[in-house]
Order: sequence, then C-alpha cells, then structure tokens
Amino acid sequence: MSQIQCANLWQMKRGIQSVIEGFTPALDAAVKARLEELGFHQGARVLCTQAPRLGAPKLYKVGNAVYSLEKTIAECVIAHPVTSE
Amino acid sequence: MKQLLLVGSPNSGKSMLFNRLTGMNQRVANFPGITVDTSTGPAVGRSDLLVVDFPGAYSLTPLSGEEQVAVDAFYKLLDVPVGHIEAVVCVVDATRMEKGLVFALQVREACRRAGHPVMIVTNMHDVLERHNQSVDAEGLSQRLDMPVIPISAKSGVGVDQIITRSGQGIEVPKSELKEDLIAFDASVFRNLAESLANEFGPKGDYLLLVHNRADQFFLSTLTGGLSFLLIMFLLFQAIFSWAAPLMDGVESLIGLTADSVLPLIPSGMLHDFVKDALFGGLGAFLVFVPQIFILTLIVGFMEDSGYLARAAVICHRPLRAFGLTGKSFVPMLSGVACAIPGIYAARTIESPRRRWLTYFAIPLMPCSARLPVYGLLIVAFIPNESLLGGAVGLQGLAMLAIYLFGIVMALLIVSLLSRVKAGKGSDLPFVLEMPPYRLPGAKTLGQLAWSRSGDFVKRAGPVIFWVSVVVWVLGYFPNQGANLGESWLGAIGKFIAPIFEPIGLDWKYGVAIIASFLAREVFVGTLGTLYGIEGAEEEFTSLAQQIQDSGISLASGVALFVFFAIAAQCVSTLATLRRESGSWSLPAGLFVGYGVLAYSLAFVAFTLIVGD
Ligand SMILES: Nc1nc2c(ncn2[C@@H]2O[C@H](COP(=O)(O)OP(=O)(O)OP(=O)(O)O)[C@@H](O)[C@H]2O)c(=O)[nH]1
Ligand SMILES: [Mg+2]
Repeated sequence: MSQIQCANLWQMKRGIQSVIEGFTPALDAAVKARLEELGFHQGARVLCTQAPRLGAPKLYKVGNAVYSLEKTIAECVIAHPVTSE
Repeated sequence: MKQLLLVGSPNSGKSMLFNRLTGMNQRVANFPGITVDTSTGPAVGRSDLLVVDFPGAYSLTPLSGEEQVAVDAFYKLLDVPVGHIEAVVCVVDATRMEKGLVFALQVREACRRAGHPVMIVTNMHDVLERHNQSVDAEGLSQRLDMPVIPISAKSGVGVDQIITRSGQGIEVPKSELKEDLIAFDASVFRNLAESLANEFGPKGDYLLLVHNRADQFFLSTLTGGLSFLLIMFLLFQAIFSWAAPLMDGVESLIGLTADSVLPLIPSGMLHDFVKDALFGGLGAFLVFVPQIFILTLIVGFMEDSGYLARAAVICHRPLRAFGLTGKSFVPMLSGVACAIPGIYAARTIESPRRRWLTYFAIPLMPCSARLPVYGLLIVAFIPNESLLGGAVGLQGLAMLAIYLFGIVMALLIVSLLSRVKAGKGSDLPFVLEMPPYRLPGAKTLGQLAWSRSGDFVKRAGPVIFWVSVVVWVLGYFPNQGANLGESWLGAIGKFIAPIFEPIGLDWKYGVAIIASFLAREVFVGTLGTLYGIEGAEEEFTSLAQQIQDSGISLASGVALFVFFAIAAQCVSTLATLRRESGSWSLPAGLFVGYGVLAYSLAFVAFTLIVGD
C-alpha cells in the first residue's frame, strides 16, 4: 500500500491521475525549474495520457498541454495517484 | 525605425503572424522550436515599423541553447531608449492559455521595468470558434492593464488590429501584478497564469481528448510501430517512384530545349560550350530538383500534422541506444533533405553531448545533394527490372539499400563515438511538448517546398555553373575538344589518377570527385561536361547512357556509392557546423575522418566485388 502512496510519475499507468508531491534531490535544479514552469509543480494534477511500452517516454497532461517525459526524469517526480472523479 | 517584437512560447504561431504582418515567408511548422534565429521585416503598409520574429521560449530563464539565443536577443532589444519599441507582442496559443501566460507575464514584467509598451495576442481563435469556445479578452486586458487582442494568424482575423492598436500608442503597464513580486519568482507567475487561464480562457479539455485518441493509435507498440514504418516507407516511395515522372518531364524539357537551341548556334566553340557545359553540366543537375521538391513537401507534411513529435517519442528509446535522443530524430530526418536545416534543428537538443553526437550523424544522412549522384549511378548500373511481379523495382530497392547504408553508418559511428566520449553525467533529459494534430495547410507546404527547392537551385546552381565552365575550359583546350585526354584537364587528371585507380575509376571520375568536394551534386555536372566534350555526337544524350557505354565495372560503381554515402563533401555543411559549434575542430575532424573512412570502405567494397 505504502508503495502506491508514495510513487513517482513514471509508475503511473495510462489514465491514472496523480498529484505531484515534490522532486527527488537528484534532480538537476535547472531541470526542476523548467518542469515547474511547464506546470509540473508541487500540488499540480498530472494525468498520464499515454504509456507506450518498450520504455518509450510517457505522455503526461498537465494544465492544458501534453508533454512527453523520459524515464530518467519522470522517476524524479514524486507523486501519489488520486482516484479520478 | 520603430520595432514590433513578437515573442511567446514555442509553437504559438509567432512566425505565421510574422508572415501575415510582413508578407514574408518564414518557416512555419507544427513542432516546438522551429524558429532558431530572430528574423526581421518591415510591416506591410507601415514601412516605418520593423517586425521581429523570435524563437519560441518557455520562460525568460533559459534552459537550452536555443532559448538562450532568444532570451539574450530579447533583453538586448529591450535595452534601447524608451520609444524605440512600438510594442512587445506576446503571442499566446489560446488553446493552451496557461502555459503561454506564464511567459507572457514574465515578459510583461520585463517590459514594465524597461519602460516599453507590451500587449498580449491570443492566437488560434479559428480553432476555438470551431469548438464554440472563446477568450474573455476584455476581462483579461483589464486585469493585466494591457491590451489583449484575439486573432487567428491562419485566417488573418484580427491581425490588422495589432498594428492599429500599437500605432495608437500603448501605455506601459503601471501596476505590479503583486506587491511582493521582487524577482522573477516562478511560482508567483505560475499561480497567477493558472488562475487567469481558468477565469478568462476557454473551458474544458475538449481538444486534448481528440488528440489523445490519435496518440493512442500512433504511440502504441503495434499500431504505432507499424504506422511509423509505413510512413517511412511512403516517404521513400514518394521520393523515388512518384518523383520519377516529374524528373522525366524535366529531363525531356531540357532535351527539347537543347534540341531547339543548339541548331541555332553555329557550330564551333560557343556551340560546344552551350551543349557540354550548359546542357550537359547544369542540365544534368536540374533533373533532380523535383525529387527535392517532393521530399520537402512530405517532410513538411509530417511536421505540420504534428506527427513528427510523436515519431520523436517513438524513436527516443532506439536512438538512446546509440547515444542520441528522440530529439535527434527531427534533425536527422531534416538531414535527409539537406544537412544544413538539420544542423540548425539540432539546436533543440538541450544536452550538448547529444547535440555533438547528432552533428556527426547528420552529414551521413542521405541528403538530397546525394540524390543526383545516386540517381545517376543507379540508372547507369542497376538494370531497370522489377521483382515480385512488378511490385518492387530493382532500382528503387538499390536506392533504399544505399539510403539504409548511410543511416546505419550514421548510427554505428555515433554509437562508437558515444562510447569514446562517454560520461559527462549532466545530460539534460528528454522533455518534449506534444503539438496538437493539425491538417497541414496546402499553401504553407507548397510555399515551403517551392522555396526550399529554389534555395537549393540558387545555392548549388552557380557553383555547378562555374565548376562546369572551369572544367569545360580545361577540358576543351588546347585542342578545341578534339581529344579530352590531351587537354589541360587530361594532364591534371593523369596526375591524380593513381588515387582512384585502386577503386577502378579513371581520371574523369577522379576530376569529378575532386570537384564534388565543393558540393556533391557538382559530380553530376562535371561528369556531364566531361562526357559532353568527349562524345562526338551533336545530340543531347543522357549521362547515364554515356556512363554505361564507357564500360565501367559494377565494382567501381559500388565503390562510388560507398564513397558518396560517407564522405563529407559539402562546403556549406562544414561552414554551418563551424558556425554552430563555434570551432573548426568539429568540421575539420569530420571532414578528414569521413574522407578517410569513405575511401577505405570504397576500396574494401571494390576489392570484395572484384575478388568474387
Ligand atoms: N489553426 C491555426 N493554426 C495556426 C494559427 N497560427 C499558427 N498556426 C499553426 O501553428 C503551428 C506553429 O506555427 P508557427 O508560426 O511555426 O509557430 P512559432 O510560434 O513561430 O513556433 P516556434 O518558431 O517553434 O517557436 C503551425 O502548424 C501553424 O500552421 C492559427 O491562427 N490557427
Ligand atoms: Mg517560429
């Protein structure tokens, strides 16, 4: 259970909505700032819209834009899933 | 001259608006980061107003090199006396308000401090209207204390408003947005942008739902992979099969012109010159322009439809294995048309190391300047037969093979280099905004393909012309074309002949190869001129036919293929690489390295085939 409570964005399956809790310390400060500007900030709601297999980057909708994030970066975004309304 | 600066997030339609305002023809495409340099032009009907188009930026704190260019240029332009800038125009994609507003708010603050007038333009209202949505421009304008003008750069609605409004004089925004706004604090702008977008922007995510279904198709393992292969197949099919009738058309046109012009010129030196250097040299090259046109058309279509960004996602993992990134896909694919736009497109790669590796891959992509060479060699060496009951042409297959050879070599070399130049931990990761799917505009595409082919002719044409002239003069004298072997060129040719002997090529090919180091397509023109002088016939005969008649072996043909696939024979590419990388060491290393490799592999190929 606790695993689901504190997961990262990369673990979100397609159609799962999550709320960002923070970032892992490993994340480069400039990249973190950019992610926040794009909308991936603490408290933001992120929907995983596509999770292609074979390790391809996943698509995440945040605000009204969709971004693809690769594994190494999505793993640095700590988030917990929320049951969609 | 007063200035009107167009700034905004990537893919918000700045360049399309710029084209509307200036009547110019800047590159517009549905992929974030298309514009990589500022461009300027006077406004239509207001010759005293200079419009400046900026590369897109997500924020005034840049992350990548391309953004640094935009941000630096922006601050530099803001640093002029008050009154020089008529208005800074923040272009916001109204279908993605929140993201655009974050940047617009930062720009507003920068302008407020510098004392320059600023306005927001919400673009793409044609899309909103189609979905019965709108933006409360009036409300947003009041809240932000600056003009907000809704437009559609595509249909042109509202565009004249921008000039009218800025001409009336805009007040510099007075109010700070928040009392405590001291630095460019990201979270303040972000929260504000979010609430403004919610309050004044369109409601709902209607658009994203439609696009998500398309993404589901284009990105899933099975349908995505298959459609990717199919699209790539169609791309190559188009270049080689669909372009053929057009090329035949151009060739007959040149032949007809030659047949009607040549009899008018009394035989003698001028007659020989027009026949050999003009029709033989320049004509041989013009035949390949339709291929370049079609290639640009299709790559443009893929880009503008939004598919290229998906292809970048699909390719990310495979390219990663070679040390590249998904963002290398677009530069490499552009490299299939021409290395130069490909090198510029590599600016979107944030990681310097991956960009460096991409630079090595691009010159190996089978660019359109190689097309004339490959096309000529294929017609000369590969029989025009078909397999599988006519479904697959042997010549098309050969073209595919030589294309794949270039691409495979690119990946191999890059992955070797990435092993050598490993480490350097701080690789910037792959984040790419997915542009919406769109039906590309026929006019935009047509213009693009037309101007690209035009550029190609303009750039290569004069070079080919002068090389043809020089080669013709050297080959024609001192014995009036009576004996090519005894000409000045023949003497030079015999001097360099030993270099090309090991791959079974005579001195004429040697001369053409040396000349082609200016630009690959010069090879065709040079060879055309040489055979033109040598051939006694008055008729205009196709160069491929003349090569066949000369009795050169298949092994030498293959060696030529291999050589041209690898050698970095393009002065413009090397110059562009120097400019982009800021040093000569990259282009010099690439030139020498690829030259040696090309020659060695050509030798290996020749020996293997002859040895068989
Ligand atoms: N439907 C519609 N499409 C538009 C409009 N304006 C621009 N586009 C499309 O949006 C895409 C991006 O346009 P560009 O003008 O290249 O955008 P840009 O802001 O210059 O992009 P970068 O140079 O990458 O920062 C293209 O596919 C355009 O055809 C508009 O008003 N309506
Ligand atoms: Mg642009």
